[in-house]
Amino acid sequence: MPDQPHDDPIVGRSLSGPLLVASLILLATLAWALYDEFYGLRPWKDYQQHFVHLYTQHLQERIQEQSAAEEELRRSPDYQRLEQALEEARAGVAPEVERIDREVNDLNRRISALTDVFATARGQVTAMIYEAETSPAEEDKEQILEEVERIRRQGFDARLPVPDGTMETLHYTYDELEDEYDQLRERRAFLLAHRVEVTQHVKELEEQRQTYRNQHIIGLAETQLRGLLTEARNLELEIKQIHVQDTELVDRCESCHLGVLEGRRVGIELTAAGIGGERLFASHPAPELLAIHDPERFGCSPCHGGNGRAISSPIQAHGRYRHWLWPLSYPENYQAGCQQCHARDMVLEHAGVLNRGKELYRLRGCIGCHRYEGFDNEPERLQAVRLQMRELELQRAGYELEIQRSIQRAENPDTPLEEARRLFARATNLRVTISNLEAEQEQLQLRARDLMREIKLVGPNLKDVRLKLRRDWIPVWLHNPHAFRPTTKMPRFRLQEEEIRAISAFIWQSGTSGEMPPQPRGDPGRGRELFETHGCLACHALGEGEDAVGSRFAANLSRVGEKVNYDYLVRWIHNPRQRTRPYCPREKRDLTPEDYAKHGLPFRFDFEHSTCPNDGAELQVQNMTVMPSLRLTWAEARDIATFLLTQRSQAPETYAGADFMDDPGLFERGQSLVRNYGCAGCHEIAGLEEEERIGTDLTTEGSKPIERIDFALLTHQAEREGWYNHAGFFERKLADPAIFDQGKVKEPLERLRMPQPNLTDADITALTTFLLGSVESGYGFPPQYIYQPTDRGRDIQEGWWIVTKYNCMGCHQIRIGQPSMLMTLPRYQTPEGREKLPPSLIGVGARLDPEWLAAFLANPALSAANLHRNGVRSYLEVRMPTFGFTVREIQTLVRFFGALSGQAQPYIRPQLEPLTNREWVMARELFTHPAAPCLRCHATGDPLHDRNATAPNFLLVKERLKPGWTRRWILDPASIIPGTAMPSGLFRRQGNRWVFSGPLPPSLRDYRGDHAELLVRYMFYLTRQEQRRLSARLASPGSVESRRISLNLVESH
Amino acid sequence: MDWHQLWEIVSTPDNIPIVALLFLIPFYTWYGLRQARANDRLLGDLENDPQKAKTHHRKTFPYKPGWPREVHVWPFLMRIEFLAAIIVTALLIVWSITLNAPLEEPANPNLTMNPAKAPWYFLGLQEMLVYFDPWIAGVLFPTLIIIGLMAIPYVDANPLGNGYYTFRQRPVAILAFCFGFLGLWVLLIIIGTFIRGPGWMWFWPGETWDHNRLIFEVNRDLPDIVGITGSAGKIVFGGMVVGFYYLLAGLLVHKVMTINEFTRKIYRRMSLLQYLTIQFFAVTMLGLPVKILLRQLFRIKYVWVTPWFNV
Repeated sequence: MPDQPHDDPIVGRSLSGPLLVASLILLATLAWALYDEFYGLRPWKDYQQHFVHLYTQHLQERIQEQSAAEEELRRSPDYQRLEQALEEARAGVAPEVERIDREVNDLNRRISALTDVFATARGQVTAMIYEAETSPAEEDKEQILEEVERIRRQGFDARLPVPDGTMETLHYTYDELEDEYDQLRERRAFLLAHRVEVTQHVKELEEQRQTYRNQHIIGLAETQLRGLLTEARNLELEIKQIHVQDTELVDRCESCHLGVLEGRRVGIELTAAGIGGERLFASHPAPELLAIHDPERFGCSPCHGGNGRAISSPIQAHGRYRHWLWPLSYPENYQAGCQQCHARDMVLEHAGVLNRGKELYRLRGCIGCHRYEGFDNEPERLQAVRLQMRELELQRAGYELEIQRSIQRAENPDTPLEEARRLFARATNLRVTISNLEAEQEQLQLRARDLMREIKLVGPNLKDVRLKLRRDWIPVWLHNPHAFRPTTKMPRFRLQEEEIRAISAFIWQSGTSGEMPPQPRGDPGRGRELFETHGCLACHALGEGEDAVGSRFAANLSRVGEKVNYDYLVRWIHNPRQRTRPYCPREKRDLTPEDYAKHGLPFRFDFEHSTCPNDGAELQVQNMTVMPSLRLTWAEARDIATFLLTQRSQAPETYAGADFMDDPGLFERGQSLVRNYGCAGCHEIAGLEEEERIGTDLTTEGSKPIERIDFALLTHQAEREGWYNHAGFFERKLADPAIFDQGKVKEPLERLRMPQPNLTDADITALTTFLLGSVESGYGFPPQYIYQPTDRGRDIQEGWWIVTKYNCMGCHQIRIGQPSMLMTLPRYQTPEGREKLPPSLIGVGARLDPEWLAAFLANPALSAANLHRNGVRSYLEVRMPTFGFTVREIQTLVRFFGALSGQAQPYIRPQLEPLTNREWVMARELFTHPAAPCLRCHATGDPLHDRNATAPNFLLVKERLKPGWTRRWILDPASIIPGTAMPSGLFRRQGNRWVFSGPLPPSLRDYRGDHAELLVRYMFYLTRQEQRRLSARLASPGSVESRRISLNLVESH
Repeated sequence: MDWHQLWEIVSTPDNIPIVALLFLIPFYTWYGLRQARANDRLLGDLENDPQKAKTHHRKTFPYKPGWPREVHVWPFLMRIEFLAAIIVTALLIVWSITLNAPLEEPANPNLTMNPAKAPWYFLGLQEMLVYFDPWIAGVLFPTLIIIGLMAIPYVDANPLGNGYYTFRQRPVAILAFCFGFLGLWVLLIIIGTFIRGPGWMWFWPGETWDHNRLIFEVNRDLPDIVGITGSAGKIVFGGMVVGFYYLLAGLLVHKVMTINEFTRKIYRRMSLLQYLTIQFFAVTMLGLPVKILLRQLFRIKYVWVTPWFNV
């Protein structure tokens, strides 16, 4: 069959159809690409348009409110009076102003016409002079200068306007032109200055009106708002960024969060509700934080995290994707950002959650296992100091050897004279150097001693278990501490029954054996009274669960009666720092009386007797507890102990017997378990004093790469459920420390050792926040931002560590707005109760003489003889305890309080002018005035009187107070300590001085000085005899009445 | 079966070309071979029917009477290429809009990623590192591959098969290509992408990539298995084994090259240099799968252990 010719599909078929379709598709993809470029990748454009819409609405609403308010203001008679005065003043000066303006106007025209001519002339002349200056040939130079001279003389024509509107043409030589020009300008300056003088009064009136307006209208004026409205309407759609040049930081957060700095920039705080419910546009909720962290300098992402440069989508910008290492913090952990730069601050304003986290880290004993730079670092510092001491010792030995050699060589007859002299001089210099070294060594020695005293442990000393505890209670406690005391710091370890037995046995057998001196029982009723009034509740609590009253800083004592040995408890309450045996760090054991007897020494160890009789090492002579001595008498201690013994919910005899604890076979197993679980991190345990912490260092845990964090078998679950990040790990680990052992097959000792800390959700959030912020320097933020204060800032920073360590805030108010623990107790809610509260320490640095404060902190009884009292406020039942501060701690605290009040350091006591005889009389009159009988409330040292005293003794003033503060105090005490019993309004202002508000005694009527000043000087020169004399004069009863007078005074002011 | 894991691997922007590869390569291989078969059949017809050979103008299939013997590049080829260019451009634009470049976090020298994978087109090379010394897998083999590819035009003694699809006229070349490209290069890329997980461990598709996975594998050198301990003995023994392999594989290659009359004809056209070059590259290429099998099936680490290199 012959083939039929066919059409070739390649040649014959048209491709226009497919080409058209493909081209259209290409066109569509191009359109898509353009859309993506302009909108898809720039979502901020939509946000900005939306913002403009909402913001203009918001502004319009505000404008309406404001215009109504301003209208009302304009109608007020005061405003109208001001307005009228202003109009009159304006009318008064109007003709003069008009005349000046007219003349200035004419001058301006003339000057501008002349400027042109003058500038041309000057240009021509100076150019020729330059030519002459740079001309190499001398004759050319002269020729040019002659030409210049000719031009200057020849002069210029100027066409100038005349006031009547016509023009005139004048001819000037160059010099004339210059003179004319200057004169015109001078005249104009004169006129303008004159105009200011003439309108001065009008200006003042305008200012008055403005001030009045500002005082009566809150917020921006209507015109300002209208300006903002126009600005908002014309908002340019563009990327808005903060660029900090020094740190190369670029944050474009504002491209979408348009209202976030509106409060700061223009004073309009936008709330989500106010701006159409869009949280995205709301102003930053903490303007006070922005005030100290200027966004223009700090940007946004260093604190909040996120990818500040990204603007293509919220997810990108917030850095919430796998490859951005520094994602936006979750709202509950925002304060992690603070920690990044403020790691060295123990207490930070505006960061309550973070502060709580840090507090918990120390309080709950995390620090016992996990090192964290800055926390409880005394042992490390002690080691550093010891190292330094050894280095100095070596250095000194080297110098001594060199002295010897120098002298030997110098005394050698072969040494030339010049050389010998040099060697002798060198030896002398080295001797001086050594003497300097000695001073340094002495300081280091003191420092080492101090550091040793400053080491505190989280848990109690377990060497004393046999003396302190009932044996049968220990295994019960170990089984589940939270069952016995839900709020305890002691975490619950996941122990097998066998492990509990071994650990209990080891602890029991390693304890110091012996007997406590037997103590007679006290009065439990009085004990309760003492317990509740002496301030024990500032740290401890009583009552279970919701009914607990008191602080969680230290143990809740509700069931203490079930576990404790009475005789030991009495001794503990009397002075908790008193050890039963001193510890020698060189021999690594507790010394016994035999050690002392061997050297013929009495078994005596305290701060004065703190060297080891065997090897001279510095001993640990006190219990490493922060619990201070309340300077109680033995009887008081017995009463409190007897009371505490009644605190129990079951009889101690009902505990199951635990005879196995005396089984020596369990000792070794117990010891290895104790070592494994790191018990010695928190407790002092015989033989394990020098154990290291067993946990990970958490100083930079927040920046540990996520790959290095062991999610174990939960990795994939975490990824799927979205918690494969640091926060997810920390939260889960804190809630259940065993969680990452799930599904793992491990030997018991290889399991995760972290015990169950029994934290609330809020506590977990706080600790997580703290850990999230614990990052390496510069992790996601410029390292320059790290807070490294000097002077005052550093003093404050250092002080907080001590203040929180000893729980000063349990009794005292230190930060404004922070209640102390005691302030929250029911006992102190009444006005009488409040007077029994320990003093607030706000502003105390301005109040107290630092030297006195140092002495007071060392011994709050202010007396070597009578320790059982408060040195200053003897009328308070709450006892300021003796904390046994070291010199360094006292220095730090004194500097801290000074720095909080902005005091210069060191303090130099100002000299007050002594009183003249007449002034003595006057001051006495004032001091004992019936309207302000100072001695009614202030203690005098007379026990009969001081029973009712509610204020300190005046004899302390001279040593204790600063005169400046004393004056401010008597002028207005309520503004320094709100609610103080000290009456305010005792003085009133009269011209430049303060005078007494009450009826003036005759002697003072013609006194021209400042009454408050006089009283202050009097107080600072007050002597014991003088005070006694005054007391006698005031012996008549009537304190109630006199107080009423002073109260009336307050009211009348 | 961990579908989530599978999806994660397949959907990673980096892996899109390889997922496409999975479908495109078989398709085009099949498509090309189909065309080759049709052409081969036509060639056979023409050979058997001299008359037909005179009247038929095209040697390629399909062919219909009346079709021109040749057509111009412009516009007939160009317009098709233009259409293809438009379609590919549109495709690339859509691709670039929808998938972002897979940028990751800043590199951290203290923490390398796991698994750390090369770009997809280098994954075959990376996979070779499992089986050979870095020096051999990373330097020697890539160099040989390039030189071998460059040498092809010079060692090709077969003048047929230019400009149309055919299998019959180039069986050895096509088989060698299929083996080297599909069987080795593409397969290794696919293994590197889908199979190699954390720790470069072997995970079957659908297995969870567990970073903490532990496997027990002991790889031993061949001389150790045989019981040779001395280093000199190892060198000699390894050299002998490798030499033996080259001999054996050379015979095999020779067998393939002279398998039928047609290939023998080509073989006779070759110079000695051409023949030896082909032999060397073919045998070396064959060595790769042999080594892979030795490792995967018998857990043999190296065959030839010397202080300078290991094979």
